[in-house]
Amino acid sequence: MNNKEKLLSEEQLDFLREMISIGAGNAATAFTQMLQCEVKVTIPALHILPAPQAPSIIGDPSLPVLCVRMGMVGDVAGELFFIIPDEQKTKLTHLVERATPGTKKKYTDVDLSVLTEVGNIIAGVYLTAIHDFCKLNIYHTVPTLAIDMIQSLLDESLATQSRQVQTLILIENEFIVDEHLIRTFFLMIPSMESVKTLVDSIDQARMALGEG
Amino acid sequence: MRDETGSKGEVRMRNKIAVRMGEGVVARAPHIISSLGLGSCVTVALYDTKRRIGGLAHIMLPDSNSPNGRYTTYQCADTAITALLEQMQSKGAILKDIVAKMVGGARMFSSYDGLNPGIGEQNIISIKHILNRQGIPLIAEDIGGHHGRNIEFHLDSGKLVIKAVGKEVTEI
Repeated sequence: MNNKEKLLSEEQLDFLREMISIGAGNAATAFTQMLQCEVKVTIPALHILPAPQAPSIIGDPSLPVLCVRMGMVGDVAGELFFIIPDEQKTKLTHLVERATPGTKKKYTDVDLSVLTEVGNIIAGVYLTAIHDFCKLNIYHTVPTLAIDMIQSLLDESLATQSRQVQTLILIENEFIVDEHLIRTFFLMIPSMESVKTLVDSIDQARMALGEG
Repeated sequence: MRDETGSKGEVRMRNKIAVRMGEGVVARAPHIISSLGLGSCVTVALYDTKRRIGGLAHIMLPDSNSPNGRYTTYQCADTAITALLEQMQSKGAILKDIVAKMVGGARMFSSYDGLNPGIGEQNIISIKHILNRQGIPLIAEDIGGHHGRNIEFHLDSGKLVIKAVGKEVTEI
């Protein structure tokens, strides 16, 4: 486990943290416009970890989560997941009601499409931040949503994408809307070949900024 | 060989043994082997009905012969089933009394539908082929669909108890 965590040096991690902080700030701005109310975001937590640990950080592996999956193509290939743990559901429904006035029940089709769009926005802001800092062109494919156990949702991806290396980048975000704190996760699973591209680009970007 | 050995890392609670993704274990009645959060992964449960010796593997991939190679024993269908059979036989199980059940192989996201066939379906096809070749009858299955599953393999009865989010508990 330790050698996997050392995949990125402390300096590289700091740089990655800076990127995701800017991404999170942009996400808050996007949600403020979308929901027509102030959305704040705390400084995101960053976890670089081997695959088996991801589900337990997100929560009880046997409880359902709401999850939006996207493929990642371009300079870095792999998969992206936007994950909202089950216990956030009621707060989330409250949030979604703002975007879909009139809906009262749990999840309607409209709610689900709003939540899919939230995943879409999150992926967009983070990939844009990576592009702006690292000059990597990464695109995401059409998002799809599923509600189930986190481990079940991730296992196809963990089996096929990461194989032996299994380096996951997990970003933990807390959004604050109307005093509700909503905890979400954004998971990047770069393919084995893409991890090096990503790390090299971080180094080049740091050097270009005179930090290297 | 010690009793209830498996790949390292399985967690034990009294007579319960939890098998995680890419792991496998062989044990005797009255143990219960559990495997949580199956999506496209497939668990194969082998059971010697006369001696009540059972083996369970949480399989991720259909075949260990891939260019990306270097998998652990229980990650791939071919090596996992061979290992379970060897361990069960070393504990006294007899091949002609061994039956198989399998659970899992779902397709969790509709966006995977473009990739044909999915890893879950490939796992199922591969496992059926291997069981057939070994002459082990597949007596029950709960496979495919678009939902995750938790299972418990009860070695006193050979039953598999299956739980899924928002569904009734079933037994095969």
